[in-house]
Amino acid sequence: MFPPSALDVARQSFVILLPEILLLLTATAMMTAAAFVRLPRRIWCITSAVALGLAVLVLLYGSPQGTDPYASAVLNDAFSNYARLLLLLSGLVVVAIAHDQVDDGRAGEFFGSLLMIDAGAMVVAASNELVTLFVGLELVSIPTYLLLYLSRRTEKTQEAATKYFFLSIFSSGLMLFGLAYLYGSIGVSNLKALAYLSNHVSGALQPQFALVAVVFVMAGLGFRVAAVPFHFYAPDVYQGSPTVVAAMLSWVPKAVGYFAFARTITAVVSAGGPTSDLGHRAVLLAWIIAVVTMTLGNTVALAQQNLKRLLAYSSIAHAGYLMIGVAVAFRNTPDSGMVYFGIEGILFYLTAYAMMTLGAFGVIVMLSTPERPVETVDDLSGLARSHPLSALAMAICLFSLAGIPPLAGFWGKFELFASAFSATSGNGPDSRLFFWLAVIAVLNSAVGAYYYLRIVVGMYLKPATGLPLRTTLAWPTVAAVSACTIFTVAFGINPLPIARATRLAAEAAIHLPDPSGEEGLRPVAVVPGAVAR
Amino acid sequence: MEILLVITVLIPLLGSLVLFTAPGLNQRQARAFALGAALLALALTAILLVAFRPGVSAPQFAHGNQGGPYGWGWMERPDIRFALGLDGLSVWLFGLTSLLMITAIFASWESITERAPLHYAFLLALQTGLLGLFASLDVILFYIFFEFTLIPLFFLIGIWGGPERQRASITFFLYTLGGSLLTLLGVIALVVIHYQHSFNHVLTFSIPELTRGLATLPWKEWTETESWSSPQVLVFLLLFAGFAIKVPMFPFHSWLPLAHVEAPTAGSILLAGVLLKVGSYGLMRFNLGMTPFGAKALFPLLASLAVIGIIYGALAALAQTDVKRLIAYSSVSHMGFIVLGLFSMTEVGIDGAAIQMLNHGITTGALFACVGIIYERYHTRQMAEMSGLWDRLPLFAFFFILASMGSAAVPGLNGFVGEFPILAGTFARSPTAAVIASFGMVLGAYYLFWMLQRVVFGPLHEPHSGHGEHQDHAGPLNTGSHEDTPIRPVGWHEIAGLTPLMVLIVVIGVYPKPFLDRIRPSAAVIASSFHKMDDDEAEKTSALNSMRMGAASTGSARNRDNSAALEPNTVNMAAGPLTQVVNKGDR
Repeated sequence: MFPPSALDVARQSFVILLPEILLLLTATAMMTAAAFVRLPRRIWCITSAVALGLAVLVLLYGSPQGTDPYASAVLNDAFSNYARLLLLLSGLVVVAIAHDQVDDGRAGEFFGSLLMIDAGAMVVAASNELVTLFVGLELVSIPTYLLLYLSRRTEKTQEAATKYFFLSIFSSGLMLFGLAYLYGSIGVSNLKALAYLSNHVSGALQPQFALVAVVFVMAGLGFRVAAVPFHFYAPDVYQGSPTVVAAMLSWVPKAVGYFAFARTITAVVSAGGPTSDLGHRAVLLAWIIAVVTMTLGNTVALAQQNLKRLLAYSSIAHAGYLMIGVAVAFRNTPDSGMVYFGIEGILFYLTAYAMMTLGAFGVIVMLSTPERPVETVDDLSGLARSHPLSALAMAICLFSLAGIPPLAGFWGKFELFASAFSATSGNGPDSRLFFWLAVIAVLNSAVGAYYYLRIVVGMYLKPATGLPLRTTLAWPTVAAVSACTIFTVAFGINPLPIARATRLAAEAAIHLPDPSGEEGLRPVAVVPGAVAR
Repeated sequence: MEILLVITVLIPLLGSLVLFTAPGLNQRQARAFALGAALLALALTAILLVAFRPGVSAPQFAHGNQGGPYGWGWMERPDIRFALGLDGLSVWLFGLTSLLMITAIFASWESITERAPLHYAFLLALQTGLLGLFASLDVILFYIFFEFTLIPLFFLIGIWGGPERQRASITFFLYTLGGSLLTLLGVIALVVIHYQHSFNHVLTFSIPELTRGLATLPWKEWTETESWSSPQVLVFLLLFAGFAIKVPMFPFHSWLPLAHVEAPTAGSILLAGVLLKVGSYGLMRFNLGMTPFGAKALFPLLASLAVIGIIYGALAALAQTDVKRLIAYSSVSHMGFIVLGLFSMTEVGIDGAAIQMLNHGITTGALFACVGIIYERYHTRQMAEMSGLWDRLPLFAFFFILASMGSAAVPGLNGFVGEFPILAGTFARSPTAAVIASFGMVLGAYYLFWMLQRVVFGPLHEPHSGHGEHQDHAGPLNTGSHEDTPIRPVGWHEIAGLTPLMVLIVVIGVYPKPFLDRIRPSAAVIASSFHKMDDDEAEKTSALNSMRMGAASTGSARNRDNSAALEPNTVNMAAGPLTQVVNKGDR
């Protein structure tokens, strides 16, 4: 079989990217039109929801052919499909929560930005090329600046947006630097080819270059996922921005960051097997980031009174748990036949995290009004009396965040811990590291349970204070929150569908097929489109 | 039968869901409905208990072939299964849960007026958690039920508890969660170790299969226990963390008095009666069953903690002025006995501990129900403010005295049947520990009778009901001072809740054989691995170790008897006659 021509590759990539293209076209049309016509926000919201729905249908039933992984810039493997479906569905939830949170004048731009962010995240999940990946990351960042500036023009918002803007630019620079080194260490920019070469050609990977690449890519992505030491912006930005934007920020950038981890460095670094020095250093780096991030996130969250700040620190803590998956993934080679893959744990946890964190933010958005905002933990006091169902939804999301079975968050933690344990096999240098990583993580989740519990205590055990909360709730938000809650419970009781899908996705993400056709490894480097000259 | 077991576990949950979705029910409807659901579960439990065959060590009522994978597939890869079944270790605790639930519902009969449907919904949800936990044959399923029990209990304490209820519920929740997360790690470690080192790399989450597989693991380091960082000792400690907190063992007991004092009566009954047994059950099932070498290596530490717990709990109980606190501390002491019996690692001791779990559940449940009777009427639990209640509430006095005597291990009542073999078994392993622990028994009798003397006997002196805070959960009885409303005599629901427990206190004390017959085969399996170790040691010392036996036997009682007959076995020689003494003494 001959390598596919560049035209074929481009055509296939186009077909694979149809959902993203659909979203981007809609978003562009919306943002263009918003400058000229004034429509009620309802219209914009419905348009974007329809676009997302259509994108889901295209993704599910479009069924493009598979592509040559060593030539194509995008992939439609199980990982890409699962991640993109997750992003689209969570995008629907965000749109539903946001439906009444902007005024008519800015609704067009607002929903357009949301669609673009979603599309960018999907590009990252599908990307198989360093440049595509970076474009996807920027497609997430730039509309985010817009969103932060758009929503409310107060001084606090301005500060948050500026902070986010500068840090984001900085991290993009770091990321680009890392990607350049990654390219320089082997000489190809196709990610599967990178992984294949580093895996099967001894000496193909320059360990010094690769180490620099690992450090800088982790730094760049560390900003997106709000990992220590790049977490500083998160609490201020969450607090300063409207709740619905905070909800989006706590979920999409984190997902994007971990999808990018899975697509780029973990596959490349795991190459040398359990004894490679580069792998050891990468594991150590991820280990330190994971431990510091989860510990700092959890301990600082204990002291928070403001709900958004609390959830911001909790999202930092969750970034720490997810880093366990990255550390493990550095050790997962395609043929290692692990009980649990690190990426599998990451994907499962992200799925659960999307439901529970969006659900929790959704409840806050649902109950807030400008006259009676829900800002602090005490604002939720006595919720169980006045809004029993909202309190129940919030409690389920919080218990799930704390990792109490039988809720989805428990299975996410379970898969991550189990992946850490299955990486302790043999007498590799990192066995002890992984063991203690798991121990530190569970102690952290016990600490973390405290601040979630504090909210539950307020809702159920304390009398209401202050003005009554709003009683007429908007149905789209209610629907979104109920969907999050119901799925949190349903996937807690029957996690099988997600477990199966994430397993397939993880296998796809680290699968390296034989380069088609010719003998040896030559084709990888000479396939048109694979080499960036 | 297997379907019946599943139904029994799920019926309370169903009832709980109905009550959750119908918050409009009034107190009467809610309690009647809850009682109906609990009685139905009790009836089904009774059928299971009757059908339970004695003399079998394998799990019964389990779906699937004998020894094969039990239950229904849940997560297919890895093979986590919805597997339920009962064996000798769990069957009585399963029954105890169903029985104490009736007592708990009757104890809340009048006292819970606020948000009654929610209260009963949480109680029933708790029951499903407990029943499922004891019946689980899959480690993950066990863990899920184990953690799930936290949520209803958290709300039970937090909403209907005493003045300090918020602090109590949070402390209870976090303390237990912290420990049990470590236990989760231990469980995962067991599964992964079994996968990595067993022949054919079997990935299983089944409790019986893991127990069997880990005992015969072809991995040399697994049975080496020289240092604290050897694998089995580490895993033992991880598992131990959660269960020791749940028991609670000294020094992890500090959550218990707080939680007990603040919990509503129903919560206390289930907390002391069943929840604490979850800890000792876990120690027995996981720590002893799966990491016996760890237990052996850490025996000095474990025995010391248990003995300190016994003495400390008893002394702390002596210093209390609040009846409920006193009983809470007595639980620390009595649970110390159970743990000591388990870690005596002798068949007699483990048998005794297993039956003592049932006994302690019955007596402590009854004692807390009695305290609830006082508190509902006088709104105080201070012993200084009351005496001679015999005259006012003779039936209460009868229940209280009988339960206290059972708890104090008076011969002929149930506590004796448990504590005596525990001491006997411990004596075979470590005479010092047994001697010190027996002081705990004396102290136990002392503080319990001292409590009786102050509350029940003497001239009648009743507290003024104006005393003490009016809590928002207290019933209509709370509103008038008791000079106006005469003290209500013990009602039918209180009698109905306590009578079955009183009957059991006497029956187990007089004729424990049917109970022990069902416990022994399963306990013998656990004890057999220790016989093996002791035998190995004896062989080593006698320099006859040309033929080492393979790893621990699959362990039927018959095997053990054979090996005991062949090998010089100090433990068995010490234990044999004592068992007979106990049996004689009981009849």
